[in-house]
Amino acid sequence: MPDAIVARKLRKTFGPKLAVSDLDFNIPQGSLCGVIGPNGAGKTTTIRMIMSIIFPDSGELSVLGKPSAVESKDRIGYLPEERGLYKKMRVGAFLTYMAKLKGVDPGAASKKSSDWLERTDLPGVARKRCEELSKGMQQKVQFIAAVIHEPELLILDEVFSGLDPVNRRLMRELIEEQSRAGRTILFSTHGMYDAEQLCDRILMIHRGQKVLDCTLGEIRARFDPRTIVAETLDGASIDAAERLRSLPGVESVEPGKGSLTLRLAEGADVPEIFGRLALACPMRRIELKQVTLEDVFIDLVQASGETLRREDLQSADAPPRPSGRAEEPAHA
Amino acid sequence: MLKTIHVAWREFCSTVLTKGFIIGVLMTPVFILIVAGGIALVTRLPKPRLTGSVAVIDQAGGVAERIQSRFSKEAVEREHRAITEKVTAAMKEKAAIAGVSEQQADMAAGLATSQLIGKADLAVEVLAPDTDVSKAKAGLADVDVHDKARDPNARIALAVVPLGAIRADDKAAGGAGDNGAGEGGTKKYADFEVFTAPRVDPDIQRGIEIKVAAAIVDARIAADPRVQSAGLTPEQVRALVSEPEGKMLTVTKTGDKKGIGELQMLIPMAFMLLLLMSVMTGGQYLLTTTVEEKASRVMEVLLSAVSPMQLMVGKICGQMCVGLLILLVYSGAGVGGLAVFKYMHILNPMLLVYLVLFFFIAFFIIASMMAAAGSAVSEMREAQTLMSPIMVIIMLPWLLWMPISRSPNSLFSTVMSFVPGINPFVMMIRLCGSEPPPTWQIPVSILIGLLSVLFCAWAAAKIFRIGVLMYGKPPNLRTLIRWVRMA
Repeated sequence: MPDAIVARKLRKTFGPKLAVSDLDFNIPQGSLCGVIGPNGAGKTTTIRMIMSIIFPDSGELSVLGKPSAVESKDRIGYLPEERGLYKKMRVGAFLTYMAKLKGVDPGAASKKSSDWLERTDLPGVARKRCEELSKGMQQKVQFIAAVIHEPELLILDEVFSGLDPVNRRLMRELIEEQSRAGRTILFSTHGMYDAEQLCDRILMIHRGQKVLDCTLGEIRARFDPRTIVAETLDGASIDAAERLRSLPGVESVEPGKGSLTLRLAEGADVPEIFGRLALACPMRRIELKQVTLEDVFIDLVQASGETLRREDLQSADAPPRPSGRAEEPAHA
Repeated sequence: MLKTIHVAWREFCSTVLTKGFIIGVLMTPVFILIVAGGIALVTRLPKPRLTGSVAVIDQAGGVAERIQSRFSKEAVEREHRAITEKVTAAMKEKAAIAGVSEQQADMAAGLATSQLIGKADLAVEVLAPDTDVSKAKAGLADVDVHDKARDPNARIALAVVPLGAIRADDKAAGGAGDNGAGEGGTKKYADFEVFTAPRVDPDIQRGIEIKVAAAIVDARIAADPRVQSAGLTPEQVRALVSEPEGKMLTVTKTGDKKGIGELQMLIPMAFMLLLLMSVMTGGQYLLTTTVEEKASRVMEVLLSAVSPMQLMVGKICGQMCVGLLILLVYSGAGVGGLAVFKYMHILNPMLLVYLVLFFFIAFFIIASMMAAAGSAVSEMREAQTLMSPIMVIIMLPWLLWMPISRSPNSLFSTVMSFVPGINPFVMMIRLCGSEPPPTWQIPVSILIGLLSVLFCAWAAAKIFRIGVLMYGKPPNLRTLIRWVRMA
């Protein structure tokens, strides 16, 4: 399948600041790709360049087979990071206007907007002014404005920011629905949890450079997990910890709240250790901790010399995730 | 192209279909017309004629009879006839210039006359010269002039003619008031007093005052020994001292024309105001909507569907229609007004063509600047700093209006007609003036206008493209110039 977006050696500077440098990536058609990266990494700049809102200083871009998104604007749906509504305009009129601007036939535009409002559980708001809507409803309306013309490619910039858990889930469902309909979707977020739940592909940008570009499965395989959470029947006693530490292949044991976190030595055989653990002490639960995107993210960011603290990444809109080993820089 | 039209249409509708616009811009002339019509209607309503008597205390002697004769039926009728004749003559003269039929002129004269002539039937009641003034006027306060049931001969006014009003000897003058003897042999006469009941129409009060004053002057003339010895009547003396009226004629190549001065003077002002108002209203809305789109962050959503250029052109075209609508409404009201009052002849139809032409030039210059300023800032407050060049263009026509309309073909006026930005306004003033500018200057000024439109639109497009997505510190003028040179 041809790629929906191909970028080669993209470079953009704003005055003395290098926003994006030598960025190469391909977004295959039909994929659901998440662009992640810390604040100021160059995500929005990259997306704006894809949309031809700003132009790269050098490098090549191909969007839906054309050198510029301008030529296929009506086939692209774009939800910008800086998004808003006309405060005084009525919701129905706004959606109809956006549909017309995106080349939907003027006769069909108003039918489409009311259909979409029905589908997204917003019936009866068409006559309301945009400023009367709650933030969550406004986000939905903006999402509708981005997809009302049924685009082949959907680009969503910071789509989850400012949403409560309920609307966050709704937005995920809307995106999944679009993905099932065969659309190529590119979205940026710094909420790792959302990315992990949705994407089949991850593009990670840091300081304007690509640090990761692969599928979620590849990430899991590449960042081999070496952490086991063990919950002993005796409530993680010191005795049990001592016993487990002496096992071959176990590097360290850290007691936690009712459980023990075991770190394995390099090259340890995981199934074998599972057996040994069960023999060593009576267990309530033994779990191989799956590597999270957040772990990978922090590893990569810290490996590149950035001293990012965890709190910076766990921004208000990212739900807390149980993870026991993010504080330490792990293997790279 | 279609997208640009969609943008323009939304811009137009969202501006025009607001309460603020409909009330503020469109309803204003309607309100003015309603109020003016209402006032005209109210003043034309026939009022009940006031009847009553004017009491006279003639301390000077010889005035009371003259007042009586001035209030007599014959005298009042004679006065009305004179006014009617004068007004009709004036109306016919204007009608001849305006090409209106005489019948219409007669009708207009009748209307005008009914406004001028008296609205009261008053009798004169002569009191003894030694009557106590305070007693005589005491009853006036209780008279209700609008009470139909009151005695039709009740006293509604009291005129007191002091001795000094006729004989200006020092003693009498000094005793009558503050009027002392004048200088150089001429002496000053004392003033008189008229007391009226409450709520007597000011026109009637004035009518009483004029008649009493005229009677006093007649009495003075008749009492003067020099006039007596010359054997002259008061009428002859009045005829001698009456000042003649001058006829004002403007000499033009097509013949001498009687000027209709005031209106002719107002036309350049009216056209400049029309131009300025329509251009500025559209421009101001453009700035507001652009800043609003940025502040509400709807800008980038729009840019996902249209290019910055399409957006800017659409917005400018939408507001151009707003400006044209205002121009249409106001100039329509003006032309309509002139047509109703038969003054169309003072308006050259070519001026309306020039008005529209210069509207386009002025609007595109202002609109480009407004769009650029609006796109570069994130809040209305910040736009003020970028408004200074626009303010200059707005303020200069006000300052230039007087010197240019006084001497439309001076070197100063000619130079100003070629200054980009203000030339549409200057040219409009000059075209409306009494001396039209030399023919070659008009196309040159238009050409300069078109070139400046192209330049402003080009610069604005560059600023707009960069500005629409810039948030944060508002750029200053120097930054804007850099943006223009950058892209």
